[in-house]
Amino acid sequence: MSKTIFEKSQKGQHAFSLPKESRAFLSFHPPQELLRKQPLELPEISEIDLTRHFSQLARKNMGIDTHFYPLGSCTMKLNPRINEVCAALPGFSRTHPLAPEDAVQGNLSIISELITLLSSICGMTAGTLVPNAGAQGEFTGLKMIFAYHRKRNDNKRTEILVPDNAHGTNPATAAMAGYTIVPIRTNAQGDMDLDDLRKKASETTAGLMLTNPNTLGLFSPLISEIAKIVHEKGGLLYYDGANLNPILNIARPGDMGFDVMHINLHKTFSTPHGGGGPGSGPVLCNDKLKEFLPVPRVENNKIIWNDPNSIGLMASFHGNFAIYLRAFVYAKMHGHLGLRRIGEQSVLNANYLKAKLSKIFTIPFPQHCMHEFVIQADNYLDKNIKALDIAKRLLDYGVHAPTVYFPLIIKECMLVEPTESESKDTLDQFVHIMEKIVEEIKTNPTLVQTAPHTMSVTRLDEVLAAKRPILKH
Amino acid sequence: MKYTESHEWVELQNDVATVGVTNFAQKELGEIVYVELPIVGKHVKAGEEAAVLESTKAAADVYSPLSGTIIEVNKLLNESSELINQSPESNGWLFKLQISDNKEYDNLMDSKAYLAKFK
Amino acid sequence: MDFISNTDAQNGEMLAAIGIKSIDELFEAIPKHLKVKRPEIDDGMSEYDVLRLMEQIASHNTYSQYVNYLGAGAYEHHVPALVGAITGKSEFLTSYTPYQAEASQGMLQLIFEFQSAICALTGLDVSNASLYDGASACGEALLMSLRLRKERNKVLIASSVHPHYRGVITQYLESHHTEIVLIPIKKDGQLDLNFVNDHLDDKTAGVLLQSPNFFGIMEDVKEITSLAKQNDVLTILCANPLAYGIYATPAELGVDIAVGDCQPFGLPLNFGGPYVGYMACRQELVRQMPGRIIGETVDTKGRRGFVLTLQAREQHIRREKATSNICTNQALAALACLIGILWYGKEGVPKLALTNYQRTQYLKQGLESAGFQTLGGTRVFNEFAVKFPKPVLNHFRYHKIEPGVSLELYYPQFKDFLLVAVTETKSQEQLDHYLSEAKEII
Repeated sequence: MSKTIFEKSQKGQHAFSLPKESRAFLSFHPPQELLRKQPLELPEISEIDLTRHFSQLARKNMGIDTHFYPLGSCTMKLNPRINEVCAALPGFSRTHPLAPEDAVQGNLSIISELITLLSSICGMTAGTLVPNAGAQGEFTGLKMIFAYHRKRNDNKRTEILVPDNAHGTNPATAAMAGYTIVPIRTNAQGDMDLDDLRKKASETTAGLMLTNPNTLGLFSPLISEIAKIVHEKGGLLYYDGANLNPILNIARPGDMGFDVMHINLHKTFSTPHGGGGPGSGPVLCNDKLKEFLPVPRVENNKIIWNDPNSIGLMASFHGNFAIYLRAFVYAKMHGHLGLRRIGEQSVLNANYLKAKLSKIFTIPFPQHCMHEFVIQADNYLDKNIKALDIAKRLLDYGVHAPTVYFPLIIKECMLVEPTESESKDTLDQFVHIMEKIVEEIKTNPTLVQTAPHTMSVTRLDEVLAAKRPILKH
Repeated sequence: MKYTESHEWVELQNDVATVGVTNFAQKELGEIVYVELPIVGKHVKAGEEAAVLESTKAAADVYSPLSGTIIEVNKLLNESSELINQSPESNGWLFKLQISDNKEYDNLMDSKAYLAKFK
Repeated sequence: MDFISNTDAQNGEMLAAIGIKSIDELFEAIPKHLKVKRPEIDDGMSEYDVLRLMEQIASHNTYSQYVNYLGAGAYEHHVPALVGAITGKSEFLTSYTPYQAEASQGMLQLIFEFQSAICALTGLDVSNASLYDGASACGEALLMSLRLRKERNKVLIASSVHPHYRGVITQYLESHHTEIVLIPIKKDGQLDLNFVNDHLDDKTAGVLLQSPNFFGIMEDVKEITSLAKQNDVLTILCANPLAYGIYATPAELGVDIAVGDCQPFGLPLNFGGPYVGYMACRQELVRQMPGRIIGETVDTKGRRGFVLTLQAREQHIRREKATSNICTNQALAALACLIGILWYGKEGVPKLALTNYQRTQYLKQGLESAGFQTLGGTRVFNEFAVKFPKPVLNHFRYHKIEPGVSLELYYPQFKDFLLVAVTETKSQEQLDHYLSEAKEII
């Protein structure tokens, strides 16, 4: 049975060593009345046991390095190791965020150059690298929109429009920013219902949050019309950059009419997903909003910590520097042509998979997709097989399952995103595996229903975990 | 017993109403793991959120079908939220309220209408 | 260069399978006027060239030549070699959020262990899987207190909480139109307890303190938690978790929610990020705690396993009613912190904390003996404020010492003070050098 590190504790063992002691230090003692009395229940563990424990845990985990990972909306592309090598350079890692400007000119040049680069790719004029994640980027963008309307003395704008297929962070962030959410319907073709938008856009609209291509992987050709409708009512447009990968240097959100946006560097720019973080969500904007960008800002090789129009601080310091540093390396290696090729290849790979899988699954939207597409896996419900079961069986075949049950508007949804990294071979193998699973559904559905069988655990009791939570050792 | 469009049922005795969610609702939600019940004494308006039901994959708001004051909550649910799945329309009741407007009850759907809409 | 695997020939086969002639057909949905011209020149770089470029840019950072005494929420500590070895493992570095639990038991278990470690340090009952940083953790904790005391809309925040954290907090509270009352600090750098007494009432949802505070001084937390309990107000304590190696825990002090930044364990300075926010609380409050939480359970064969739990609170389910919009946590960075904590372990964390304290006192008392005024007496941890009679930064920097953060920007009443952090990385030699340069100034 798997043991936690706490259960491997052995009295008297330890891994640490401390810097050389000096006798002069030993005479100082902290005030008695402040001391901790409660024992510190951390494990006692030697370095080899510590190393072994985590190495064994690693073997119970799937990653891009080890498995094809077509998780829609997450862009699981290769995390190149050159990023890691550059990020670890002591010239970067040893800089304190409050160090004097003249001593960190290297860092400041990276910040300036990366903002310029990202702005030009996205058709924006200014930006910030401070937000610590995509959701934090959304929060920042909405705060800027709020500041914009406040400066115009327009207090009526209390609503944010959000498509019904939007990622959960969109309405959650809008609520955090104090807005009411008004959902906009998606039509049967997978595009935004313009009539619904015209009905709901008004003088109380602060803005519309949108991603294009949308969460179904479809590019909306109506985007300029959508922008016009919202702008005419005095609202602004926010672009959720989660789906930026397919349009890199092919189309620019700024040109589409978006006023402000965020990028998920851990998606589009290959910074490591790390099992759920740390991410980085830079925000870019046009001239309408740039005065509201958060601080700190880098201008002319100097750091600005205060600005009267800025929305203020959005993180403790400069954001996840070591993360956007990796994105900088990635962007420099690719150059503009390389980034374009990412867009092209990611879309080609997705459409290839879609064409091959359409023979065994329902594809609700037949038109060409962008970097990801939706499968409606409801044609096996008669055998009591759901999308979740197929996902679990994929694990046995050494593939991490696609995203399931998102977006919410498609029944038994599977969202597949191969990314540009994968070769045709890998994609063919995936199709072959899906075909095998469909065979199994016909001949031995129980096998699929009770999958996975080859992981370190079988299906886990989530109900028990929620009803009787055990949240620590 | 009367029903709402949002899958609550209500049983009225004099001016005390007992409220729960329907069998349809519990099936949709799956196994309920947690119930957030209203505080006794709270005033609610018809249509206002009064409780929240959580399963592992979803959370659903329960709206009070009638206006009034909460006078009792089903404390058994704190330990045994599965009562809602097992017996949604009797033992799995959520809360009782002292209603303030009799007319509201008449406007709700009867069981024929509810079942016709949500088989 | 790029990392695309396919050859042109393979792409040709794929186009044929789709039934199209060129890749442009896949982009037909994009209106012509929005299409960007394809770049003609390849302005990419080889791996070698980009490495050289980055080494060159890194060399424009002269900071590593200085002996660093800056703290203020980012501390220089030894990062154990094991940290990089574990966080660099493919399966951790390149995995995603553990939504398919069976394929992510490694990640889920280690986050469970992180939660357990935070509970061990703070003495509290539950911890989440981490938040972005200390600042956002404070913001989220205050929102949590408002959710738990729905009829109240006032919070008290100590002025001795990190100024940047207070800046971020206002972002979280702005839309709630919460009344924010700042607790002033006295001349000695500690909170004015009389003020707390006067303003903490039954309209207050929560009170946020930092101890050790921004000046490195330990506040009288127990006094405030007692006051808070009388009015059913929630107390939130923000702290450097290393301090709990020697000092009383939030649990012992009667605190409800503990937050802060784990950066001191296992994370380099990295110019401010990524860091790791932590949040722990008493059992009864867990359902209002934001962020991811990992729980233990069993599989169909009764074997122990770990899953994301209490997810109904989160954005992907509750959407606009979520406890927070947070989607990522700091996963890999939290792993780094966990390795840092475990490498020191039960015996090492108190020893590490103590040597931080002692080296700080060595410098502090050395400066006091030389006639400089400091704040906090012996009630500090690994940071203190010292007053210099005239501008000293250039003098120290000439000798390759970055002596401390100037408080002028943050607290006008302490404008001649520097905030000096001393960790285990400072030898007696280096500290003596600091003292001798300081004495030169007089």
